Amino acid sequence: MKTKFKRKDLIGWLVMLPTLILFTFYVWEPLIENIRLSLFKTIRYETKEFVGLANYARVLKNPDFMAAFKNTFSYTFWSLAIGFLVPIVLGILISETVYLKGLFRTGIYFPNIVPGIATIWIWNYFFTPGPTGVLNILLGKLGIEPSVWLNNPKWTIPLIIITMTWKSAGSTALIYMANISGISPDLYEAATIDGATIWERIRYITLPNVFGLAKTLLILQIISVFQILYEPMILKNGGPNNASISLMMLQYRYAFRDSDYSGGAALSVMICIILIILSGIYMCLTKKKEND
Amino acid sequence: MFFKKYNEKKDGVIRGYDVRSTSVKIACIIIMLICLLIVLCSVFPVVWVFLASFKDIREFNREVTIIPSSFDLSKLQDTWQQFKFIKYYRNSLIAVAGSIVCAVIFNGLLAYVIAILKPKGYKIIWMLVMWSLLIPSITNIVSLYRNINILGLNGTFIPLWFAYGANAFYVVLFKEFFEEIPGELLEAARLDGAGVLRVFTSIILPLSRPIIMVVAIFAMTAAWSDFLLPYLTLKGTQFETVMVKLFAFKDTPTDAVSVLRACMFAIVPPTIIFAIFQKQITDGASAGAIKG
Repeated sequence: MKTKFKRKDLIGWLVMLPTLILFTFYVWEPLIENIRLSLFKTIRYETKEFVGLANYARVLKNPDFMAAFKNTFSYTFWSLAIGFLVPIVLGILISETVYLKGLFRTGIYFPNIVPGIATIWIWNYFFTPGPTGVLNILLGKLGIEPSVWLNNPKWTIPLIIITMTWKSAGSTALIYMANISGISPDLYEAATIDGATIWERIRYITLPNVFGLAKTLLILQIISVFQILYEPMILKNGGPNNASISLMMLQYRYAFRDSDYSGGAALSVMICIILIILSGIYMCLTKKKEND
Repeated sequence: MFFKKYNEKKDGVIRGYDVRSTSVKIACIIIMLICLLIVLCSVFPVVWVFLASFKDIREFNREVTIIPSSFDLSKLQDTWQQFKFIKYYRNSLIAVAGSIVCAVIFNGLLAYVIAILKPKGYKIIWMLVMWSLLIPSITNIVSLYRNINILGLNGTFIPLWFAYGANAFYVVLFKEFFEEIPGELLEAARLDGAGVLRVFTSIILPLSRPIIMVVAIFAMTAAWSDFLLPYLTLKGTQFETVMVKLFAFKDTPTDAVSVLRACMFAIVPPTIIFAIFQKQITDGASAGAIKG
């Protein structure tokens, strides 16, 4: 009996072995390798001597780091201010329609399948300053003065967040819609009998019901903000004047522009630590939801 | 009558009995108009690219219009031939096809072990997979790229293909699906003397067609849009994919119309896939994400 169990375990491990090798190569080993690289001096792919935390000090002293670090907060702020609420509102609005629901669902999801690089190029031409920029053409029809869009450093990050929201809000809204349609109609009907208006029903039934999901998606959204890379690179290459440089962009410059892998690795480790803390918060939140 | 259908409304705040009052009727119409407007915003940028790619560069830079003066397909053909786009399409197709195969086989097998075989110690693997879901792969890129170079896999499709075999999100999708398969079915097969792989090929696989479709479609759109790893490993070789080419426009001065036409070539294939599989894609997007 005992040997039979062992055989079953062995087969199980053998079946998942190839995948585990892939996970090790692509996910787990690089995480540890980053820590190792960040503690050594490297010349291209070779590691030289152990330097302790010198790489970290070097990255922290880089003036671009402070800019990127501050921008990350700015990205997070705008992504929460714009990107967090839009999908909830979309989800609630589309849940209230009875005609063309299929069209609305597909329509709002469509930007999600447009390749990210193509999206950024398209918005690049939308934000072109001067009379031929698409947004300036459209605003001109409404009699509004043309704007310089991304060239104004105050607007660069919010506009990048708007392009990202355009791309991802639809798929998030679908998740909220699935959640909203899971709310029992009896709740609304009971509330109506108690005299609740439509607004009160949204306030006291719909919103509390999506709250748990919203908490989870909030953390996932913050995590995704840390991945911003090609958007500022294509639009303004981190500018104007470092106004949109992101941590990932800085990592890219270290590793792939300057071939400074230890600097890039040190930055990766710092980003990972922040993400692990955020993920820890996320785990706590989802645990609580399961216990409810 | 227009509002009659609201009586059959299954979800949402506004119930059939609300629609008797005029103000709610007006609200319903306004909500529908807002939703139409949102869908318009979602599709407009892509529609614009299609229109703009029919302009020539002089028209694009001078004219303040959205609609091109003529629809001449030969202009698109010129750009297609000028950039030898067929090559990039072929490379992208090779990358995508391999990625789909890897995504389905490797993640499917891991999920099969975690959901059904459950050998001793599988919980540790499951925990590691869940954690990798929260650490975006982009933070690993420095070490990963270094490892790929050390192994000499630079300039081949191999690292791209196998990257899709280690995707925590697909593992979660497969696992959720496999857990729904009734245990009696598997037990009966086991009593009939079917081995681990036999159960997989003759019971799990035929039942799993829907989830294989979902993962294959996700992997397809993701691999088509993927750019960072392809850019780093394939840049400058004859294997550059469509996204690598699109990203490279950043560093090579190209006229706007050519960039837009290239964007359009990049958008067409996923749009066709989306048109065919829209139901699977939108359903998968809302179902998978909640559980994940």
